[in-house]
Amino acid sequence: MAQPSARGDNMTDRKPRIVLFQCQWCLYTEIDQHWVDHDLPSNIQLIKVPCTGRINPLFILNAVQGGADGIMICGCVPEKCHFKEGNFSARRQLDEFANFLVFTGFDIKRIRFTWIDLQEQGRIQRELSSMENDLFVLGPSVALATRHPLEGEQS
Amino acid sequence: MSDLELHLRSEVARILQDGSVDLVVGFEAESIPLKPQPTFIEDSKDADRLIINGFCQNNLATFLTRLPKEKRIGIVVRGCESRSINALIVENQHARDKLYLIGVPCHGIIDWRKVEALAGENIISAEENENIVNVHTIRSQFSIDRGDLLHDSCARCLHPNPVSPDIMLGELLPEGDPVLARSVVDEFQLLSSEKRYAFFTQEAERCIRCYACREACPMCYCTECFVDHANPRWTESTISPAGTQAWHIVRAFHQAGRCVSCGACERACPMDIKMTYLTDKLNDDLRRLYGFQVGMDTSTQPPFAAFSLDDKKRFIS
Repeated sequence: MAQPSARGDNMTDRKPRIVLFQCQWCLYTEIDQHWVDHDLPSNIQLIKVPCTGRINPLFILNAVQGGADGIMICGCVPEKCHFKEGNFSARRQLDEFANFLVFTGFDIKRIRFTWIDLQEQGRIQRELSSMENDLFVLGPSVALATRHPLEGEQS
Repeated sequence: MSDLELHLRSEVARILQDGSVDLVVGFEAESIPLKPQPTFIEDSKDADRLIINGFCQNNLATFLTRLPKEKRIGIVVRGCESRSINALIVENQHARDKLYLIGVPCHGIIDWRKVEALAGENIISAEENENIVNVHTIRSQFSIDRGDLLHDSCARCLHPNPVSPDIMLGELLPEGDPVLARSVVDEFQLLSSEKRYAFFTQEAERCIRCYACREACPMCYCTECFVDHANPRWTESTISPAGTQAWHIVRAFHQAGRCVSCGACERACPMDIKMTYLTDKLNDDLRRLYGFQVGMDTSTQPPFAAFSLDDKKRFIS
């Protein structure tokens, strides 16, 4: 607690940093995937994974400790997984990891799961902007401590 | 010497003599007060070294993963140790038919820190007598009720009896109270997130990264721990706030569905850091969500190693 948070003291001069973990199969429409691949705002960091099952809880912890204000995990709905069962095992583990971070004092609003179905074109944009609004209201996070120095810090 | 110890010694001598095991893991008398030490007995003549009492604080299942898999091992087990062993068998760390579990009843482990704090000076010896602990210090001696000295994990122990031992010495004990077992987690969850974070940082940031908790834990047997991994480096390896927090979070989370709440990590910690509330929270969640309890049999996979189609109802957003 003694060290100042590398996330900065306020959010007036920057937008909230969001790390987006995206399963590469979950965006069914070409337009959404193109937007995520090419037109993401600079405050959103994309980490594309082959399946949500690939997301190790350490990735999430690293993102939080690397200075992210919020984490979004985006994957396929149950029974629509490209690998049949990857998202099932991911759900159990990541959901519990989120619960556990909340138990240690992390804000529950800073981690969000979005499970996208076939018809939901444009949902990813809506979810990201609503999360960004939430994070604006919350301000910079106190929990958890960030690594020092932050690599490639950007505002 | 108690009846239980006599029984234990004759049983160990018997199984070593008839060759049904190569080695027995148990406890022997301490070289410093309050801390009996683990011992490995290969000759039936040495069986007289064995003791068992409330001061034996290690979880003996830790040694299972450090001994060769082909060895036939006899091991003295209390409730938590037998559950650790079951969890290790589920993870294929040893074959059940190569183990001989000698079950002993456990009334809870006496926390040497509490005894030392009450004594306030150097302790020469301490012994249990039924429900009373007699402590001799340099200048005086005193007696305390055993219940006041129990380690926190043992005071709220749910299953004090060994699960399916090959032989049970002594009497079975009543099962623990589930409400009491959950009490620490329940109380902690009622606090505000700022208070929870303050407590978590206050505990985690005292950590000196000695990894005694890891060495004491029977389930921490990874050949390469994530904190020792250099490329990529997952977390800071120093005692910075980020490093210690990451260690405590990930250490606990890797125990989800595997920790048996024996409290060996806390007893081993030189900084007296509270950490069982973290693993207890995970155990409590898995019990609530999946009805899973660690180490109650040798076949059920932990929830994270399995999944069910019912899950989709629970997590849909």
